[in-house]
Amino acid sequence: MINRVLRLSLLFVVLILLQVLVMNNIQFNGYINPYIYLLFILLLPFEIPSWLLLIISFLTGLIIDLFSVSPGMHASATLVAGFIRPHILRILSPRDGYEKGSEPSLHTYGVRWFVTYAAFIILIHHFVLFYLEVFRLSDFFRTFLRVILSSIFSLVFILLIDYYRKRK
Amino acid sequence: MRNLLNFLARYNNLIIFLFLEGIAIYMLTTGNNYQNARIGNNFRSITRGFEGRISKGRAYLSLMQVNERLAAENVSLKSRLEKFTKADNSPFFSVTDTLFSQKFTYTSAEVINNSVTRQKNFFTINKGYRQGIKADMAVISDNGAAGVIVACSDNYSIAMSLLNLDFKLSSRLKSNGNFGSLSWDGRDYRYAVLNEIPQHVVVSVGDTIEATGYSAIFPEGTMVGTVSDFEKVGGDFYKIKIALSADFRKMHFVEVIGNLKKTEELELEKLFK
Repeated sequence: MINRVLRLSLLFVVLILLQVLVMNNIQFNGYINPYIYLLFILLLPFEIPSWLLLIISFLTGLIIDLFSVSPGMHASATLVAGFIRPHILRILSPRDGYEKGSEPSLHTYGVRWFVTYAAFIILIHHFVLFYLEVFRLSDFFRTFLRVILSSIFSLVFILLIDYYRKRK
Repeated sequence: MRNLLNFLARYNNLIIFLFLEGIAIYMLTTGNNYQNARIGNNFRSITRGFEGRISKGRAYLSLMQVNERLAAENVSLKSRLEKFTKADNSPFFSVTDTLFSQKFTYTSAEVINNSVTRQKNFFTINKGYRQGIKADMAVISDNGAAGVIVACSDNYSIAMSLLNLDFKLSSRLKSNGNFGSLSWDGRDYRYAVLNEIPQHVVVSVGDTIEATGYSAIFPEGTMVGTVSDFEKVGGDFYKIKIALSADFRKMHFVEVIGNLKKTEELELEKLFK
């Protein structure tokens, strides 16, 4: 248990640093910014109480906001992701439920399950984030395209990181 | 009372969610962008030491290009100076006031945090109130308009980058003086869009675009970029794509320009509004 908390905290620090130092400097063609810190929200244990999940997601978003000039943007998007997570887990749950103490990751429930799970949450998070960022509906479809493209990139990066995380 | 408690227990997640979301949205939308940037300024004092260090590391890596650029600028300044010393020998003119007819003041500063990946980009420079920086001063990178100061603390300032959906700059074609409004469309950090140029005007690829000085922020003739593409839209106007001359990815040393006569000009203009 303690071990698990420690491992998650380490993952948290690494993801935040990676996001702030590397990913925030990446931009393909003006449309695409990958946000990999969502992996932390994805990997929190199944048994985590919803209220704690909400507070953790809010604080994670707030820390990402600390490194940008727009307070509140990542906080609200990540909060929505944290709010929606238990519902998505319920929808995707296997016939005999989740194994106790297991981790919602690529390695325990397979690629197909994890991709569906991650894709839903990333899409919702990016949707909130990008529309809050422009804060107008005039460029609706262009923003929508950015949501889709960025989601694909975030998903790929998150899969890669989750894959290599376990191999070392 | 019991019903109320039951209700709270049942919907506690929703309540926490709405509460935190309320805080986030409140932070996001308080006031306009100026106040937003100001909050960001306080908000970010924690991360600033960290950013300063990163930016120093980056500066070291680009020293060579910076040197080349400085040398080139020295040459151009020297040649301008030559012109002035020659023209200055008119005999009936003697002024002791060192600020005589000076309109703009220039200060150099370093960019310590910058972004080009968002829709509303800002950057932070390492000078503030104590070094004489105020809101609404112009920022130019070594070769073109870069932004406008929106908020200052004692030793730091935040500038709204030209790469911000809310940024507007009155600019004109250098060749014939027709002016329009320049803004960023949020797509590519190398290009901006110039609107409101009527279609009877002759535009060609490669034309220089410069600031008009109508806003009393940027000095007249500040380089902005060159025409890279244009098309006719709607009835009467061109939509001109401008290749910006400031390189926002590499921007490190900038000049901040204050207009000493700005208040005078604005006061006068206010009388006729």
